[in-house]
Amino acid sequence: MTKRSLRFLANDRVVETDRWEGSPALDFIRKDLALTGTKEGCREGDCGACAVLLGERKREGGAAYRAVPSCVLPLAALENKHLVTIEGLAAGADGGLTPVMRAFLEENASQCGFCSPGFIIVLTAWLIEGSHLDEEGALEAVSGNLCRCTGYGSIRRAAARLIKDFRDLPPEPEARLDALAAAQVVPASLPAFAQGGLLEKTAPRPLFTPVGFAVGGGSDLYVRNPDPIPRSGFAYLPADPSLKAITRRGATLEVGAAATVREFFASEDVRSAVPGIERFEGKFASILVRNVATLGGNAVNASPVADIVSMLIALGAIVRIERPEQSGTAREIPLERLYLGYKKLDLAAGELVTAFLLQAHGRPLFNFEKASKRSTLDIAAVNTAIMIELDENRITRGRISAGGVAATPLLLEGASELITGREVTGSLAVEAARAAASEVSPISDVRGSAAYRIEALKRLVLAHFATLFPGDAGIQDAVTKEALR
Amino acid sequence: MKGAHDAALNLRGMTAYIDDLPEPANALQATVKLSESARGRITRIDALAALALDPSVRVITAADVPGENQLGFTVADEPLLPEHEWEYWGQPLVLCLAQTRALARRAAELVRVEGEPLEPVFDPREAAARGEFILPPRTQSSGDVEKAVARASYVAEGRADSGGQEHVYLETQGAFAELVDGTRVRIVSSTQGATVVQRAAARVLGLPMNAVEVEARRLGGAFGGKEDQATSWACLAALGAFVTGRPVKLYLDRKTDMRATGKRHPYSSDFRISADKDGRILSFEADYYQNSGSSCDLSPGILSRTLFHACGAYRVPNVRITGYMCKTNLPSFTAFRGFGAPQAFFVIEAAIDALAAKMGLQAEEIKARNLVEEGDVTHYGMPLVGVRAREAWDRLTAQADWRRLRADIDAFNAAHPLEKLGAALIPNCFGISFTKLPMNQGGALVHVYQDGSVLVSTGAVEMGQQVARKIARVASSALGVPLDTVRVERTSTLTVANTVPTAASTGSDINGAAALAACEEIRGRIIAKATELTGLAAAELSFREGRLLCAGSDTGLSFRDLVAKCHEARIDLSAHGFYATPGLFYDAQAERGSPFAYHVYGAALVVARLDVLRGSYAIEKAVAVHDIARSLDPVVDRGQVEGAFAQGLGWATLEELVFSNEGRLLSDTLSTYKLPDAHFLSAGLDLDFLPESENPRAVLGSKAVGEPPLNYGIAGYFAVLDAIRAARPDARIPYDLPMTPEKALSALSGGLVGTRKRGNA
Ligand SMILES: Cc1cc2nc3c(=O)[nH]c(=O)nc-3n(C[C@H](O)[C@H](O)[C@H](O)COP(=O)(O)OP(=O)(O)OC[C@H]3O[C@@H](n4cnc5c(N)ncnc54)[C@H](O)[C@@H]3O)c2cc1C
Ligand code: FES
Ligand code: FES
Repeated sequence: MTKRSLRFLANDRVVETDRWEGSPALDFIRKDLALTGTKEGCREGDCGACAVLLGERKREGGAAYRAVPSCVLPLAALENKHLVTIEGLAAGADGGLTPVMRAFLEENASQCGFCSPGFIIVLTAWLIEGSHLDEEGALEAVSGNLCRCTGYGSIRRAAARLIKDFRDLPPEPEARLDALAAAQVVPASLPAFAQGGLLEKTAPRPLFTPVGFAVGGGSDLYVRNPDPIPRSGFAYLPADPSLKAITRRGATLEVGAAATVREFFASEDVRSAVPGIERFEGKFASILVRNVATLGGNAVNASPVADIVSMLIALGAIVRIERPEQSGTAREIPLERLYLGYKKLDLAAGELVTAFLLQAHGRPLFNFEKASKRSTLDIAAVNTAIMIELDENRITRGRISAGGVAATPLLLEGASELITGREVTGSLAVEAARAAASEVSPISDVRGSAAYRIEALKRLVLAHFATLFPGDAGIQDAVTKEALR
Repeated sequence: MKGAHDAALNLRGMTAYIDDLPEPANALQATVKLSESARGRITRIDALAALALDPSVRVITAADVPGENQLGFTVADEPLLPEHEWEYWGQPLVLCLAQTRALARRAAELVRVEGEPLEPVFDPREAAARGEFILPPRTQSSGDVEKAVARASYVAEGRADSGGQEHVYLETQGAFAELVDGTRVRIVSSTQGATVVQRAAARVLGLPMNAVEVEARRLGGAFGGKEDQATSWACLAALGAFVTGRPVKLYLDRKTDMRATGKRHPYSSDFRISADKDGRILSFEADYYQNSGSSCDLSPGILSRTLFHACGAYRVPNVRITGYMCKTNLPSFTAFRGFGAPQAFFVIEAAIDALAAKMGLQAEEIKARNLVEEGDVTHYGMPLVGVRAREAWDRLTAQADWRRLRADIDAFNAAHPLEKLGAALIPNCFGISFTKLPMNQGGALVHVYQDGSVLVSTGAVEMGQQVARKIARVASSALGVPLDTVRVERTSTLTVANTVPTAASTGSDINGAAALAACEEIRGRIIAKATELTGLAAAELSFREGRLLCAGSDTGLSFRDLVAKCHEARIDLSAHGFYATPGLFYDAQAERGSPFAYHVYGAALVVARLDVLRGSYAIEKAVAVHDIARSLDPVVDRGQVEGAFAQGLGWATLEELVFSNEGRLLSDTLSTYKLPDAHFLSAGLDLDFLPESENPRAVLGSKAVGEPPLNYGIAGYFAVLDAIRAARPDARIPYDLPMTPEKALSALSGGLVGTRKRGNA
């Protein structure tokens, strides 16, 4: 196994290490760097106690800082970046307390305190990002953080203080970062790094080829395997900019497999190809996980309830598969055909998913529905997406997908065929819902029984129509009747 | 900010929890091998492959226990490591040590434990039918229920089930242990009870208690889950250190913690309630089948509290209730905030709901007519004094404008076929004191140093309930010194001996009172010296903010000056304080007595919004009025009420333990076990405290606050139920807590076939 040494900025000092790049960043932070303010609460991306800030220089200058869950992050993800931990924030403020910490103190928002560093990190990231400095934005910012003590009341009040104090931050990222450093919300190392200081630029390293195993965000891999054993062929895909690009060529939208879920929903090209798709970002995991999870990982993890896959199937996405060491080997198949059986893929060892291709003509109607126990940060029991192209009131092309109702994510062929070519009416909604329910045979597991999944799917398909045609009395009536039958 | 010193450290990431403590270079990391079926007899343990993994690997079994391999003090049914049989899926079978945690985990995977399967039982009613009890059943009664039922106008009966609840303390269980001088052992444990661990470790290691030192620093949450169940982990670490001679750290990963440790007890209960024609409750009967799990643990105390709280906050003249502690092959269920009371509250609330349906009345009407009043005597013979149930109820209904709200909800529901609102109210009446009488005692050690700074040590373990902050306030006000000159030390068996666990909401009552006694003693000595020096009358002298006052005006002398004088005069500036809650007695034979020092009252209202199409629901609004008497610290109390309510609401409307038919916990990660997140609780809790009133039966007129507000969450269950009925008045919905979207959808679609087994397993 070749060892490559890794360099990054940890708070205000440069760290160089030859530890295996697949090691979980959390262990490195807590053990090697002895920064124990970053906590281990679950090691599965679900609690936020391990959150850290990660800054990455942008090609156009400046740096983007995001809060990420360090327990599912490979060490490789730190390369050439700026890691900021709770200790780093504290060191930059007089008396060791940043304004975010002080707001928590004043509102008594830290009880046992185990969750506190994570909350401070994500709310600091929220101020740095600065685009939703309101109550809803704060709620979204803490969507990946659990607190078992406070009931969140005091945390909400602390956030309200921050909204009041920082509402008027400058909108330009660089000026905002300077303002936050001046207010001691972040230490001076952030603007310094953003301006190209503290860590000299090094060229990104080429991907390991042939790829032994690939890592996207790690949010699936490290959950399944929290103590990975070093092995060769480790490829951290997001390090390759070409795999992250989202570009539009004519009517085709190409989304790089290593683009994160966050980047996918933020992309103007994606938003214009699928109007309204951004409404569903909050249905996927938490902001922490979305900051790392990639589209390729969502597809290759092959979970029957993968949400992005469900959306992409309804949108008719084509997946591109390549061997990085052999050019000209690309093949393209419809996404639903990637799945052969439970966690079985049409993907050979060494092959990578490199991109998803979407047709970006017209303005399709799109909706996504998800049934889960908790409405946020929860894996679906059932999900479904619908894409409809309309000519007047007639559906010229309709696709409905479903997850959690079979061993693989599905295109509901029966229901999709049924709606294509039909007029949109209340009875069509009911027929489609029943057709969807009758073409699946789910199993029972921890997230729900088979009977529940079938009923849920039926109702979520009804919900597609009720949501897409809110003003159509015929549809609303038919849906209501069917729901209370 | 004063008194918030700890919180500032938390926020800076400087608080060291168990896993943050620096480890000696020769420390070993520990983990456990868990059983992979619900019940079996061990035939062979094969550790060869594990030992071959790395030279640092050690595998430790029951055979290595030097003392008595037993953790159970009430019933000897809990070996530290099993010798013959395992009794639930996820039971620790052997201890594995290695240089790193990852290695220890891999070693544990390689250990093979072979065995013969034995037939398990999971359902408490089935266990009861087979006579599998932890201890014999207990019955409490008053009046004559048969007579009451015979003359009642309405009788309702039914069944109510409530599921367990995982604690999800954010810091998992952990311990560090090392040998001192090769003969004694020092343990740092994330326990709520340092003495509990000390006693058990001494027994397991075959040492006297004076050779075992246990320290409990700050815990990252506990909620009852570290009252009894931190003990085994501390003992395992100590055993590892004892056998290897090297320091041992054990910090459980989340999945192991969730699989191996106990949770809130699931209950399955039958009830019968009767009322006269005006809805006055005449009688209540219940059989509680407590799913105790594999061992005794704290089940008897929890059952006691269930029985004492059977009638909720209602006056019931005729009562007969029986509780069964059913032994099953599930993890040993244990303490969880509320300690059996919420389970009882759910049953009486369900009974009233059923009665209301029979009578065609709103449940809230019946509740309002039957609240406990001053001077009422409970079914176990305790007269209630200082009752504030009606005061709370009236204040709540006025504040929330209940009649108007109800009418608005009905109007909304009539206009929205696919969206429904539902509401429910719940009154509270919660007894304070350990139900096990000898536990109502505590000690404190107070030092005043020569510079006037104060150090307080008590048995109270700080775990986020901010008891340290309250005790600091007690000491500061008793000595008359500034709050920032008082420091509350971690709990150690070296400073305060024979402590009771910090639990039953009594942490500040008992330890605060003990600290108060010690402070008063020292204050008395210093005042005596001041009298001698100034010639002023002792009765006129007091300290305030570190100044000596005479009849309210400054004498020019400070606390610090006098402390120095005392030291010169060879006056002891340390004192030990002790407190035993007075006035408690209980006759277990007759099931009569006064087991509580006092009760805490309140009431809450929850409004839920239901999406009829999708079966999902959200909490729309929550209001509570709560009794904190004269609070030691209202800011802390607010956090306690909000936190307890959140846990209660989670238990009632979200958190579901799912076991397979073979007894395996399927909801064993945070991705499959969902607890409230900020979004779930975004409606917040509108909280109002009852007007200040002095409680003569607790320290400085205060009242305990930790557990009682958890009951308010139960209203969430009934609020969703109310919304479902608005959509489907014909729905037949079993009382089966927690509510889940799956159950809601089942009710909305007229029943789903083949839905999963009940959560109570
Ligand atoms: C707390 C939490 C919440 C979650 N919530 C959701 C949710 O709401 N909805 C949902 O759908 N999922 C959810 N997930 C699952 C997971 O985050 C997603 O599936 C995510 O998209 C996985 O992407 P990743 O880049 O992190 O995958 P990784 O863990 O990096 O990789 C997953 C697998 O795919 C392989 N792989 C990754 N990229 C490629 C590629 N380009 N080519 C070939 N192989 C590749 C890896 O080798 C690995 O086997 C959640 C996970 C967590 C931890
Ligand atoms: S430790 Fe819980 S999210 Fe990382
Ligand atoms: S303060 Fe304890 S988990 Fe948040």
